[in-house]
Amino acid sequence: MNPSLQLLLVLWISFEVSFTSRLTANLVFLILAIIVLLFHHLRFRQWLWLICGPFLPALALFVTIVAYSPGHDLHFGLVLVSRIYLYVMAGATVTFTTTPLKLAQSLEQTAHLPAKFAYGTLSAVNLLPKIKQEVTQIKAAALMRGVTLHLWSPTLYFKAILVAINWSDQLAQAIESHGFVEGHPRTAAHPITVHWYDWVLLTSGIIILQVLLIAFP
Amino acid sequence: MNKSHFGLRDVILLALIGIIFGVIYFAGDFVYNAVTLLLTPLGLGAAGNDFTMGLWCMAGPLAGFMLKRPGSAFLGEFLGAAGEMFLGGQWGAANLISGAVQGVATELGFTLVGYRFYNWVTILSTTLTTTIVTFAWDWFRNGYSHFALPILLACFAIRLISMFLFCGVLVKLITRLLERAHVIPNAQV
Amino acid sequence: MEYRIHQLTFTYQEQPVLVDLELTLNSGTLYLFSGRSGSGKSTLLKILAGLLPRYGGNLHGEITGAVPGSAALMFQDPSLQFALDTPRHEIEFALENLATPPDKIPQRVADALNFCQATHLADRRLVTLSGGEQQLVALAIIVAMDSQLILLDEPFASLDHNHRAQLLARLVELKNQGKTIIIADHDLQGYRQYKPTVIAFEKGHCHVLTDQEANRRFDQADELAKPLLAHLPDENGAPLFSFDAFELTTNGATLLTIDKLKLFKDRITLLTGESGSGKTTLFKALTKLHPYVGSVTHQGQEVRTIKAAPYARQVGLVFQRASNQYLNVTVNEELELSQKQGQNPFFTPVRVQMALEKLGLAKMGERVVYSLSGGQQKKLQLLVMLMMGQATLLLDEPFAGLDNQSIDVVWQLIEQSRAVCPQTLIIISHQSAGLASHIDYRLHLADHHLTYQGEQRHES
Repeated sequence: MNPSLQLLLVLWISFEVSFTSRLTANLVFLILAIIVLLFHHLRFRQWLWLICGPFLPALALFVTIVAYSPGHDLHFGLVLVSRIYLYVMAGATVTFTTTPLKLAQSLEQTAHLPAKFAYGTLSAVNLLPKIKQEVTQIKAAALMRGVTLHLWSPTLYFKAILVAINWSDQLAQAIESHGFVEGHPRTAAHPITVHWYDWVLLTSGIIILQVLLIAFP
Repeated sequence: MNKSHFGLRDVILLALIGIIFGVIYFAGDFVYNAVTLLLTPLGLGAAGNDFTMGLWCMAGPLAGFMLKRPGSAFLGEFLGAAGEMFLGGQWGAANLISGAVQGVATELGFTLVGYRFYNWVTILSTTLTTTIVTFAWDWFRNGYSHFALPILLACFAIRLISMFLFCGVLVKLITRLLERAHVIPNAQV
Repeated sequence: MEYRIHQLTFTYQEQPVLVDLELTLNSGTLYLFSGRSGSGKSTLLKILAGLLPRYGGNLHGEITGAVPGSAALMFQDPSLQFALDTPRHEIEFALENLATPPDKIPQRVADALNFCQATHLADRRLVTLSGGEQQLVALAIIVAMDSQLILLDEPFASLDHNHRAQLLARLVELKNQGKTIIIADHDLQGYRQYKPTVIAFEKGHCHVLTDQEANRRFDQADELAKPLLAHLPDENGAPLFSFDAFELTTNGATLLTIDKLKLFKDRITLLTGESGSGKTTLFKALTKLHPYVGSVTHQGQEVRTIKAAPYARQVGLVFQRASNQYLNVTVNEELELSQKQGQNPFFTPVRVQMALEKLGLAKMGERVVYSLSGGQQKKLQLLVMLMMGQATLLLDEPFAGLDNQSIDVVWQLIEQSRAVCPQTLIIISHQSAGLASHIDYRLHLADHHLTYQGEQRHES
């Protein structure tokens, strides 16, 4: 499916189920999302991540609702748990089935997002390994001066932001040096097409959601 | 809120800051898990979310204080969330929704003071709007509407304090360092 | 094609960087901008590339011949010049920016990669490439874009010999195709054979050197790079660091292996080796900032398992970039922190004041450290780290950008301090001039191996 439309559908579903509490709709789309993911042959670690990641917040909400809230509402507790897993699994159908580059290209070509947002964010994402090293190095430099930096130390953020300012300057210059001019027309080496079935999937997804929300508990 | 105010360099900077914060509070994830585990048997497990909420929302107010332009707080928060989604964070595309909600919440705080002050009044304003708007969002999304009143009040108080400490005090301290280093325009100018 | 620069003046934050420049650049020529850091050569490159004054500063004067988009710049830090994940995607991105028809893009990508002998890298992830490979890709982008003016800002800073030679060969071929190539480099070593036109920059002015003058500079560069005479260690005492079947890798490629080696306590050891050979990575491994395979012990304890905080009080790293060392905003705050946390008894407040005066840093207390000049930052960095007084200091290019007089002052300070508080110093330095009288041993890193250099000491 076209990444932009897929993202739109996932956001639409996530948004709407946030304001409704229907177990059936949650479960149907949760199963659909899992089926999509099964087709994409995720690695075992990815499944583990998807299942364990939301476990604690889901459990915490469930316990609070079912055991400690006035209604002791089991149904609503299950709605919340299924909703959280739906967010994660549906979100994963976007992030695990397409690459950041494809999504960015699609957002540029299909959704007409200005290229600077697509590629600016992408270039920052690609620096992740460097960012991790830098944060470690800032902490080490502080230790060598007898200072331990914590999550709440302004200095840690200050130093990291100084680096970010420096890097964003260099990266922006490099990207412009590669011919990028804001607002200038660009061509596409990999045109991202929108097929008729993309639209069918999007609209049928939304319609099914409405039916489930209205007609089922 | 004209988007053309933000150039390529600003976009990269805001996305970088969002990702850097994500890397730093990867440790925050651990804090969240520990707090949640401790509180769950007390029926306050949901408050784990409120405890660390301030950490998750820091990129927005910081961007607002750094760039001092309408839209910067929203973009800072949203691009950070988009960055995390690209990185395959555990919440995937749902990050975008929370990012947008938190972004709007923070931006509102700057709008209320008319983008004219960047001082403690602004801190109070963003703390309040961010707490209230994100709380309202969790009212629906995380089922806070069903909570018993004491738990609800506890969650709200914890979130307010978390927001004030991280998005208020800490952001102000960071901004002060950046101003003194002359890398961002001074608040008094 | 000819580029003419006329009465060009550039100021940044009210400081003149380039003053009244006059210069003509011809096509089909290889130029070498020579000068110390801060002499204005990088600034001129960025002006020619059309990045300045858009990214700050004020420009007066005129440049004729440079068409916007006809110049491409290759940057010093190879890892900060890509937006996308792989070389192929990055080149496609550049061609898309130039609105190249999509059906022409694949061929031009293939040609450019082929020209740069980088086809095998096309689909690797850029973050996993070495600095040298990344610069090859950066050149491939420039080739694909068919830029007439190719600008390179210290492009070989982190490259090993092979990649440097490979890149230069490609550049010469581009020059022969009629392109204008300008390389800015503070180090002239290894350029003589390419017969560049050398333009010397000093304090914002520049002039074209005659062949004679250029040759003199090349001679000086070669002189600086001559290996130092040293003696092999003949110590039997307990070593400070001891390597055993030690191996360092980056991105899956072996950087260096050390079978067995000892580093000695309270000695000054110079660590040499060409750029990109892994010297800095070795320092990072010794300070727990880079993983390693095998074993290296510090006073008998495996480095990997030592607790970070107490270890940081024992072994300090003086970073190549001075600003990485700083934690605060002003000079005084940095000094106060080191005074408070430092363990070197030599540095009493009075002696710190004296040191500041000798280093030319007196009365700068309220200055923002990040706004100091490169040399001042370096000197302050050395002072605050000496004050910390770790028993071992690893210094990564501590003298880069310092003039000879400053280097002498730094050595005096180190010697006075060591007389009171003995320290082990391990120093990476690409310039060995003036070091011979200070160092005890010299280690050289070449072909992935680290060995002591010099002659057997004869007892007299």
